[in-house]
Amino acid sequence: MHNAPKPNVEDLPTKAQLRRSSLIAGIGAVFIGVCVYLPAEYGTDPTGVGNILGLTEMGEIKQQLAAEAAADEALHGGDESSSLMNDIFGLFVGAAHAQEAWQDEITFTLAPGEFTEIKATMEEGATMTYAWSATGGRINFDLHAHADGEGVTYDRGRGQTSGEGSFETPFAGDHGWFWRNRDDADITVVLQLRGDYSEIVRSE
Amino acid sequence: MLPNRSFRSGQQSHPLRQPLTLLAAVVLMLMAFATSAYAHDVTPGDAGYIQEIFGVHIISFIYLGAKHMMTGYDHILFLLGVVFFLYHMKDVAIYVSLFAIGHSVTMLLGVWYGWGINAYIIDAIIGLSVVYKALDNLGAFQKWFGFQPNTKAATLIFGLFHGTGLASKILEYQIAEDGLLANLLAFNVGVEVGQLLALFVILIIMGYWRRSPNFMRQASVANIIMVGLGVLLTYQQIAGYIAST
Repeated sequence: MHNAPKPNVEDLPTKAQLRRSSLIAGIGAVFIGVCVYLPAEYGTDPTGVGNILGLTEMGEIKQQLAAEAAADEALHGGDESSSLMNDIFGLFVGAAHAQEAWQDEITFTLAPGEFTEIKATMEEGATMTYAWSATGGRINFDLHAHADGEGVTYDRGRGQTSGEGSFETPFAGDHGWFWRNRDDADITVVLQLRGDYSEIVRSE
Repeated sequence: MLPNRSFRSGQQSHPLRQPLTLLAAVVLMLMAFATSAYAHDVTPGDAGYIQEIFGVHIISFIYLGAKHMMTGYDHILFLLGVVFFLYHMKDVAIYVSLFAIGHSVTMLLGVWYGWGINAYIIDAIIGLSVVYKALDNLGAFQKWFGFQPNTKAATLIFGLFHGTGLASKILEYQIAEDGLLANLLAFNVGVEVGQLLALFVILIIMGYWRRSPNFMRQASVANIIMVGLGVLLTYQQIAGYIAST
């Protein structure tokens, strides 16, 4: 019936051994739950072990992302940006622009864990050319826009120190960068802009 | 956005209602944990965390590897099948090591060389590995073909497929190039840690169960259920594949 014979009872672990193993497993599970799982998933670290292991930071980032995602969904109804549209759009982005003078230069500094949004209010079909550089550390960014159920991601990156390019807006609204410092020192970013926008909006 | 588990669904149409209900609950739970993209690309959860970080994060990736293994019901189910009739610690160690070697090789190579194998196809094969091992446990191959296929070779070969599945999941996480090798090795260590933790619990439960006088009879039922679960996993992946094309 089976590919193995019935096990001999004397070869099996005794009940006392099994009880001891169960106890060890139980204690281990509680330890992992409190010292590893709670910090790594929720950023709650009652023992301080999660902090030593560096897992509390993971939990804090996850909680932060979850809150941002929830806020986003409440704001934009959870629509997903069309990746096909991004792909097609990407074909039009990146065309070379003649070098002209910058219209705006924005400088800001972010401490580790801090983030900011810098957006330009633009009409549909407008273009923007930009260049930026970061000093003091490496920064994460997401160059995007969303308005009335539409969304587009022009570019995103992490651990970068500079960037340049241009984009053309597929719809009217605020187009720009979400910046976040995931490095361990203050980062100063200098962002230079040129294009058809009416104003620069900053939000913390 | 690459495909992920949240887009996969399964239908219940099987007489094994209770285990299937349990399985469905597990799948739903995983779907709740699974990631999805929002308006300006805020990805929450493990993938979101991984997509924000760069550089070497050894302990974080050990944790993520262990979590991935312990919540990966397909890997756990295969592991259960492998150790179902093993009770000498030496045998357990040999077979679990073979499985670990198999999945580590393809997981590391798969991520390093970016093998873009369709996740549905590889997960369907992983489902079949559960079916194979449960049939093997039932002695079906001896009965049908008159011989016993090498169980060690089967464990190693299916381990290679499980590793390819792991690799395709890790590629979806989009780990930064900066620190990739160290983080990947840490993830692999975590997978083995998670496997050992799961194995510890499995061996305790099996230890109690084997002492029961009805074990051999119940073992048949358990392995038949396992065949059913493996078929269900395979069916879900094939259905997902068809829906995605």
